[in-house]
Amino acid sequence: MEFTWPWEYDFPPFFTLQPNLDTQRKQLEAWRKLVLDYCRHNKIFVLDVQESISLFQNKAIDRQLSTEGINQVLESLLEYNQIEWCDKAKKQCLVYWKNPQEWGNLIYRYASDKGMTNTVCTFYELTAGDDVQNEEFAGMDQSLLVKALKTLEATNKAEIIMFGGNEGVKFF
Amino acid sequence: MRKRPGIGAIHKQRVEQERFRGKATELQDNVFEQMTSQMEKFRTNLETFASKHRNEIKKNPAFRKQFQDMCASIGVDPLASSKGFWSELLGVGDFYYEIAVQVIEVCLATSPRNGGLITLGELRQRLIKARGKAQHHQEISNDDIIRAIKKLKVLGPGFSIVSLKGTQDTSDILIRSIPGELSADHTEVLKAAEAQSFTSVKALKSTLNWDDVRCLQILNELLRDGVAWVDEQSPEKMYWFPSFFKPLMSEDEIALPPPN
Repeated sequence: MEFTWPWEYDFPPFFTLQPNLDTQRKQLEAWRKLVLDYCRHNKIFVLDVQESISLFQNKAIDRQLSTEGINQVLESLLEYNQIEWCDKAKKQCLVYWKNPQEWGNLIYRYASDKGMTNTVCTFYELTAGDDVQNEEFAGMDQSLLVKALKTLEATNKAEIIMFGGNEGVKFF
Repeated sequence: MRKRPGIGAIHKQRVEQERFRGKATELQDNVFEQMTSQMEKFRTNLETFASKHRNEIKKNPAFRKQFQDMCASIGVDPLASSKGFWSELLGVGDFYYEIAVQVIEVCLATSPRNGGLITLGELRQRLIKARGKAQHHQEISNDDIIRAIKKLKVLGPGFSIVSLKGTQDTSDILIRSIPGELSADHTEVLKAAEAQSFTSVKALKSTLNWDDVRCLQILNELLRDGVAWVDEQSPEKMYWFPSFFKPLMSEDEIALPPPN
């Protein structure tokens, strides 16, 4: 299904960082929502800033957000805990259209529904196995998976295990 | 030789005057009585009419408007209170009250985007969408909405009706849901921007014959109010108005609280 772009995307001023602070706040909120919705729709777990330039421009109306604007949007996303940088150079970030806790809960529910408690399951099975193809977390980036599982560890619902060079998890 | 009026004559004159005045008062009383009874007859006829055509009044906006005009012409206001004969007969008090509440909801939901300025057309579309799901489908007209908003104004500041063309034509009416009057200059700029949903200093100078300073000042005030956004990626700074921007007006995603 095609991604539905919000009305702002066709609105030329959306690509100019607004001087009026109240308006700017609304603008950034709309950008945050656009980034999250876009990533959710396209199952993007990790956003590469350079490669995602097309998200911050609309060729149809010949407008694009300036570097300063893009940075403001990313700063705003960070402020709202909707992204987390993967590297100090801020080249890539995890996008939390679901946050680690929400992912943890979803994965746990899947595991208990499938009767997988008290057995060990590899990370590979969880993200790439045949059984999970219809799940939202299919194809999940491993670092995000670890964060999600760590939230389960904190509530004693799971334990991350290393065995024979593989990484896995046991659900309780 | 003219006879000078004596006390008696004056007295007589006075009595005559009194009698005339009395007659006049009596006449006035009579006329007044007749008028009152005539009004009563009007009122009764109106009530009978309303009773007979109750369904039509409820269902048909054009008919409803004519009925309202008829009432107004004899000084009867069916919306005057939500209790009483009229509202019970027609349920109109509640009808307009409901519209007013829904107008507030739509304006609250949309004002983050359009700075609290919405066209009557868009407002009506969103109201119909919101109502269609719940209510027995009473069609509402622009006229209904204006009446409901006028009732809102009675409750306090915060809602005003801005007419871009100065006529009664409802196609160029904006509803402002944020307190503060729009000045005549603001309205001129809105008028100029309406067609394409944007304008510029250059365009305003040529359309309105204003100088640079005046154009910039008004545009900046509209920016400050959140009614306009600026686009700096065109040869000349362009000022855009979400209130007139078609893709926003037809966007579905504005969440309204579910009708109860």
